[in-house]
Amino acid sequence: MFLRLVADSFGRRPRHKLLTGAALALGMGVATAALSVSLDVGDRLAKEFRSLGANLLVTPQADSLPLEIGGVDYRPVNAGAYLPEADLPKLKTIFWHNNIMAFSPVLEVSANVAADSSELTSSNAGTKVQLIGTWGSHPLHLEDGSTFATGIEKTNPWFRIEGRWFSEESSQPRRVNVGPNGHYYVDAPNECVAGVNLAQRMKLGLGQQMLANVPDLEKMQKYAPCTITGILSSGGPEDDALLMPLLSVQQLAGKPGQYRKLYVSALTKPEDAFAKRDVKSFTPTEYDRWFCTPYISSIAFQIQQELPGTDVRVIRRVAEGEGQILTRVQMLLWLVTGAALLAAALAVGASAAASVIERRTEIGLMKALGAGSGTVGFLLAAEQLLLAFVGGGVGYALGILLARLLGEKIFGVAPEPSLIVFLVVVALAAGVTILGSALPLRRASRYEPAPILRGE
Amino acid sequence: MAAPHTTNRAMFWRIIRRLFGANRGRLFVMLLALGSGAAVTAALLNLQIDAKRRLTFEFRAFGPNVIISPKVPVAGDLVATMNDSIMDAIPKSVGPYRVEATSFLYAIATVRGPRGGVPVNAILAGKRGMGIRTASVTMIPPPTDPDAPGYDLVVPGDLPCTLGVQVAKQLDAHVGETISILISGRKRTCKVSSLVETGGPEDSQVTVMLDFVQRLANRLWGISDVEIMVPGTPKQINDYVSTLQKQFPDLDVRPVRQFTEAQAKIYGRISGLLEFTVALVLVLTALCVMAAMTNVAMERKMDVGLMKAIGGSMRRVLRLFLVESALLGLAGGAIGAAAGIFLSIALGKAVFGVAARPRLIVYPVAVALTILVAIISAYPLRRLAAIRPASVFRGEA
Repeated sequence: MFLRLVADSFGRRPRHKLLTGAALALGMGVATAALSVSLDVGDRLAKEFRSLGANLLVTPQADSLPLEIGGVDYRPVNAGAYLPEADLPKLKTIFWHNNIMAFSPVLEVSANVAADSSELTSSNAGTKVQLIGTWGSHPLHLEDGSTFATGIEKTNPWFRIEGRWFSEESSQPRRVNVGPNGHYYVDAPNECVAGVNLAQRMKLGLGQQMLANVPDLEKMQKYAPCTITGILSSGGPEDDALLMPLLSVQQLAGKPGQYRKLYVSALTKPEDAFAKRDVKSFTPTEYDRWFCTPYISSIAFQIQQELPGTDVRVIRRVAEGEGQILTRVQMLLWLVTGAALLAAALAVGASAAASVIERRTEIGLMKALGAGSGTVGFLLAAEQLLLAFVGGGVGYALGILLARLLGEKIFGVAPEPSLIVFLVVVALAAGVTILGSALPLRRASRYEPAPILRGE
Repeated sequence: MAAPHTTNRAMFWRIIRRLFGANRGRLFVMLLALGSGAAVTAALLNLQIDAKRRLTFEFRAFGPNVIISPKVPVAGDLVATMNDSIMDAIPKSVGPYRVEATSFLYAIATVRGPRGGVPVNAILAGKRGMGIRTASVTMIPPPTDPDAPGYDLVVPGDLPCTLGVQVAKQLDAHVGETISILISGRKRTCKVSSLVETGGPEDSQVTVMLDFVQRLANRLWGISDVEIMVPGTPKQINDYVSTLQKQFPDLDVRPVRQFTEAQAKIYGRISGLLEFTVALVLVLTALCVMAAMTNVAMERKMDVGLMKAIGGSMRRVLRLFLVESALLGLAGGAIGAAAGIFLSIALGKAVFGVAARPRLIVYPVAVALTILVAIISAYPLRRLAAIRPASVFRGEA
């Protein structure tokens, strides 16, 4: 009989139920969309912030001080320490290896460059430029057999290149001149990318041949020819430099298999008060918690463990700016989501209240026929709950669609539908419907059937 | 003819007054619905306007985003410099926000730690913020011959310097100790006032006052670059850069693309997200208020029936209810919007640590929106036009 009454109520006034249900679905749809976006936005924005590039810098522990002015290191090649390139795949074996988005090793030397070998007769001839050896777009073979695409293209995403990055494969054996008379051949890449200012100064264009020469300690002249495949505009000191594959610069500088600086771009969680504490003061549980959270400090620590003899420093300008803004934006969005949830709850509560108030006559009739307040309340609550589940479910589907639309429009990626959101939304729908109906229901339980039936 | 008209009007307002007074509980519910709607609207609008502005300001966390330097970084074997008078020509503000500019002069110096040891080469950075002409330094007119006696700075007490962590490690120097700096035969000591760790070039620099490096390196009035922190939207920053480029055609004025581009991208994303969410909440709030109001309006069946029964035309009855709703909207909106603005001040404080500045435009907008919603909510009363008074009184419907 109970179920029949409920079913009958739905069948008899479909339009009315539809309206209340629609209000519910709409409200819960908005709640779902707001919740999904808020849950997702942290990760999404953290990825966006990677367009700031590297947030960790790895240097040799025993290094001498870099003498860098305007991006040009005035240290001679033989000063300072170097790190082995062969260790780099280990970066993808740390605990948070999935959060390592990209890295690129850098080896810089001062060189003399010219378009013609006749200009490079002595060690001081030609145009003095900074030669940057790095990975352009580099497939790194990992120990587990997979390949990880990384390089400066990924760590410095603001670099704009006209043409393309140099290829790191050697197309032909290259002749390396040793002194004025001798020479030998090596397998080496022979492409390079010129900074936009350098290209302008030397009137270089795509496809043009260049010669670079690093004045060597043993007074040997090493010429490396290269073809310009791209003109780089970075808005930084790289605009005045010549970029070559790491392998080429290693050979020119006589430092095979070595690099000096490593830029790492890692996806991190903004540092909170806990992360800012001194690692040494942690209890074992706290240490585990710290180690297993992608704070920038814990990722730096893990890299240092994996690459011995290094100093891993956080590029504070990037990391802290990112953390600060991310925290603020997330807080702001949670506030707005809170407002959305509140507004949705109010809307649903109000429509629930309306649907109970409208049924005064029915309540009166039921009471006149001998139903107790409890039975009436239970019946109405069951009806409202059923409506809440249906409305909440439809609203969830609607909200997911809305969130997808929003996510794709703003971030280009739709947020993943999450079970938590579904549970929260259905619980919220049930909660606010019951709450919204409770007040009118309580009043209804006090109704005297007679005046209502008389129409007073 | 004037008299009945006046009487009519007087009657109209009297009915309105009675409508308000008739049911205190209902009046309270309506005012609550409208007021809370207006509060949410005003708070969000205010917060949104403020948040977008505040966000552009938050990006200052990334530090300088525009750099002025000589066109060719290296002139011969020397680092190129420019005259520090350009600092006075830099525009000092973008909209309401102050631009912060710092000038630097770099030189390679030999530095020796407090306990002697091997001297190391390090970059000595002279630094001066805009407008802060260090008062603790007595300026001596630059002598023509730098090797003449007395060519030095007179600093009362110790010259303070800031060490990058890497320099400090190499020199084994700590705060409060004295290190010595040597450039082309001229030697000075300074007292370590603080250590910095930035992960950037500052880690391997010794930073002192600009005047000190200018004199020590014999580059009077020379600076290597100016770092400028320009707040504002991406467009404002671009405009600022092009103004500077026009102003200094012989210098290299460039935005630090790493930050300006990411900033523009992130700003676009966040403000899009914010706009969308706020619009969503506003629409929802309107729906919520409408639902509550319509619910109350539908309860007025009896009133409408009675008015029609005693000869009120539907138009007049409807006008009565619309005016009532508009007045309610005004009252609810006025109270709610004021509450909302205070709310947004508190929320702004919670998010950004600084109270959101109330924007006056938000208030009338929020009130107008509330009145509009209230009037639209009364609209379903039109449906009551079809009601026959008799059936209402019989209790049918």
